[in-house]
Amino acid sequence: MTARVSLAGVSFSYAGAGRAALSGVSLEIAAGEIAFVSGASGAGASTLLLVATGLAPRLVGGTLTGQRTIGARRCGIVFARPWTQLTGLCSTVRDEVAFGPACAGRPIAEVMAATARAMEQLGVAHLADRDPAHLSGGELQRVVVAAALALEPELLALDDPAAELDPVGADALYAFLPSLAAAGTAILLATPDEERAARVATHLIVLERGAVVFAGNPAGAMDTRVGAIARAAGCPPPYPPDVPALLARIAPDAGGRAHDTSDAPPAGSGPGTGAAAR
Amino acid sequence: MSGFGLVVEGVRYAYADTEALRGVTVAIAAGESVALIGRNGAGKTTLTRLLVALLRPAAGRVAVGDWDVGGKRPDEMARRVGYVFQHADQQLFARSVREDVAFGPRRLGGDEGPVTAVLEELGLATYADIHPYDVPAPVRKLVALAGVLAMEPGVLILDEPTAGLGAAQCEVVAGALRRRNQRGVTLLVISHDLGFVAETADRVVVMEAGRIAGDQAARAFLYDVPALAALGLRPPVTARIGIALQLPGAPIRAVDVAAAMQGVQWKQMSE
Repeated sequence: MTARVSLAGVSFSYAGAGRAALSGVSLEIAAGEIAFVSGASGAGASTLLLVATGLAPRLVGGTLTGQRTIGARRCGIVFARPWTQLTGLCSTVRDEVAFGPACAGRPIAEVMAATARAMEQLGVAHLADRDPAHLSGGELQRVVVAAALALEPELLALDDPAAELDPVGADALYAFLPSLAAAGTAILLATPDEERAARVATHLIVLERGAVVFAGNPAGAMDTRVGAIARAAGCPPPYPPDVPALLARIAPDAGGRAHDTSDAPPAGSGPGTGAAAR
Repeated sequence: MSGFGLVVEGVRYAYADTEALRGVTVAIAAGESVALIGRNGAGKTTLTRLLVALLRPAAGRVAVGDWDVGGKRPDEMARRVGYVFQHADQQLFARSVREDVAFGPRRLGGDEGPVTAVLEELGLATYADIHPYDVPAPVRKLVALAGVLAMEPGVLILDEPTAGLGAAQCEVVAGALRRRNQRGVTLLVISHDLGFVAETADRVVVMEAGRIAGDQAARAFLYDVPALAALGLRPPVTARIGIALQLPGAPIRAVDVAAAMQGVQWKQMSE
């Protein structure tokens, strides 16, 4: 597969910062992959997105050492706070989404086609004539993602892309990512929303104080809320990342229904209607 | 600290030509812990801003305890109601985290009060001397919360307090809110995060298109799969485990779910 970005021993420091934001990071993200970058706040996930897409140090300053090869011809990034990403130059959502491909010098017909497609994909076509400054946080976040998609990036970095969205909007955005990856986009995803990330990630990168402490298959490697409950309930490791995996770990003679019924309403599933699981 | 009740009666509010609240009536008793949920644009933030006089209703009445909010200014309301904005950057301005957190108690005329304790409680002690804009965004969010907690208000209103926070930070926030609620502080929390709602709320109020669309006990609401599905939601992981295993008592907090699962037999993994 084609590497959209590869880092070998890359370290990065912001100007004036006491310690490196990234240290000795080596990784490779290929077309079709969705890499979930996990870590506590300050661990370096957002910085990794800036470095991988070439924005650091080019736009944010600082010092980068090590080998970085960006194979993607076009990179897109979506920041955690969408209003920081608006151009401030466009009075309609349509113009905002078209801004990137237009600046890339593409023919107007292609720009308009990419713009219409991206707005459709993110469900913001009905907002096309609205002023971006008058949108809600959730609407704005979808517009900003659409603007990044309109560039048709081969590498797309998403920094907490659903933070402003309600659960329906967040589910829709995450459900869209695998099809985007299948079409050849490499996706770098940083978010504290581990449950949704676990559903789509093909790779997991865990950062601690700027260093990669785990890189590989996310299955069984994610420190999720479900895993914490399983641990507290006496489950031996490896800890299950989500509810179906937890239920699969329960021995058949343990009783209970032991299947995740949340997507299909069960009969009599109200509070306190069931027997104990033991 | 004893809390105050909140009363909203027949309230309407419009932004220019967009009607955000279309006749909202809801009452929250002193010491209750209530989650306010609903889709983007449902009117949640507008409703809470009316409670601290940041907005004035076009019609209806808003009260906090025995205060009619209509006759109060936002700075007066701050003595009773601590409000944490969705975007923390809107309420940080001092030169250090400690100064920012201490601003509220000083403004209210007291000493620094519990500033140091609150910084430690929220895991912010190591950031105390750093400029708020030099700490990561999730930490800024905790700083904004700390500034409000340090004022020890009788009512806490928080707008999406866990958006952008990691799991460990969500636990810290949930713990801080639970402790205050146990001391009688009234909580009203806007959140899309049903896992957090499960950890902190006893009651859930649902808003839809500027109206109250639902109001019930958190435990019943979070186990009600069809009602949640109608809102495009599904139960938090704790309730999904509870439903699948038919755990007694319909637990919604992680610690209660884990306790109810003691005795479950686990498969040993071969690898």
